[in-house]
Amino acid sequence: MHDHDHDHKEIGAAAPGYFDILQASLEEMLIERKILQPGEIERQLDVLASRTPALGAKVVARAWTDPAFRVRLLVDGRRACEELGVTFYDDTGLIVLENTPTVHNLVVCTLCSCYPRPLLGLPPEWYKLKPYRARAVIEPRALLAEFGTIIPDDVEIRVADSTSALRFLVLPLRPEGTDDYTQEQLADLVTRDAMIGVVTVNANERSAAK
Amino acid sequence: MIGLEDFMHRLPNDVGGQPSPEFARVEHELAPWERRCHALADVLDYHKLISTEEKRRGVEGLGAEVIGRLSYYERWAAAFAVLLFQKGVLTPTGLAEKMKEVEARLAAGT
Repeated sequence: MHDHDHDHKEIGAAAPGYFDILQASLEEMLIERKILQPGEIERQLDVLASRTPALGAKVVARAWTDPAFRVRLLVDGRRACEELGVTFYDDTGLIVLENTPTVHNLVVCTLCSCYPRPLLGLPPEWYKLKPYRARAVIEPRALLAEFGTIIPDDVEIRVADSTSALRFLVLPLRPEGTDDYTQEQLADLVTRDAMIGVVTVNANERSAAK
Repeated sequence: MIGLEDFMHRLPNDVGGQPSPEFARVEHELAPWERRCHALADVLDYHKLISTEEKRRGVEGLGAEVIGRLSYYERWAAAFAVLLFQKGVLTPTGLAEKMKEVEARLAAGT
């Protein structure tokens, strides 16, 4: 039988076992060989824990309220984020893709799971699984509909395929009726999924830390 | 049914546009070892020992069957082991011995 159902075990196994042992062994051996310093993994765990979509939301809210920053962000995503104190711990570039009334952007990594981690943290599981990766590039409209996102036919959908060296972040459309919102109130509206491009930003719902 | 040409045209990771199972909006809280595996990947990249792209190719090199059977971070850990053997940093025997030692220690609860 060669049915090639590649996704039946894509979600991480929870029980401790072979891979817990392998992971611990790799770490210990690399430290024994003085390739890693003791504590380095722990320090990186702290870095990872410090990255959540709230950072991306802060960048988006600033771009919505500061036209000069918006321009700098679209010209050089990484530098503009660094200006706001968001450091890039990896060696990646960032392109920010601006949604407009006529263009909706969607981010995928067809080959694996590249993602703007310094700004959003680790990607959701569905982003790493085959259905999203396979379909985003060939039927984005139908895929977006499964997120409840209906993009009108006269709006172009652009799909950006990430690489290990270049990551993408969507700058969503600012919702109507938010003219009197502060930057913080605006940031509260911006969800992780909106910055991937699978949903839009809605003034009636708060992001609940997503 | 997958024909031979498909194996020639596409490596296992190259799924863009391919037929796929149904989409589901799955979220997954990482197990502690999975989080450590992610941190290890970042640290190996900082040290210029294994880059993100090398890791991806390492996963690709595990082959379609293994990729299909392992979870996301299981593939990473397997790829790291193979890449570290290839680079002469670790040996299969050395790793096997270390794994026995770690397993015994975990079993003893220390």
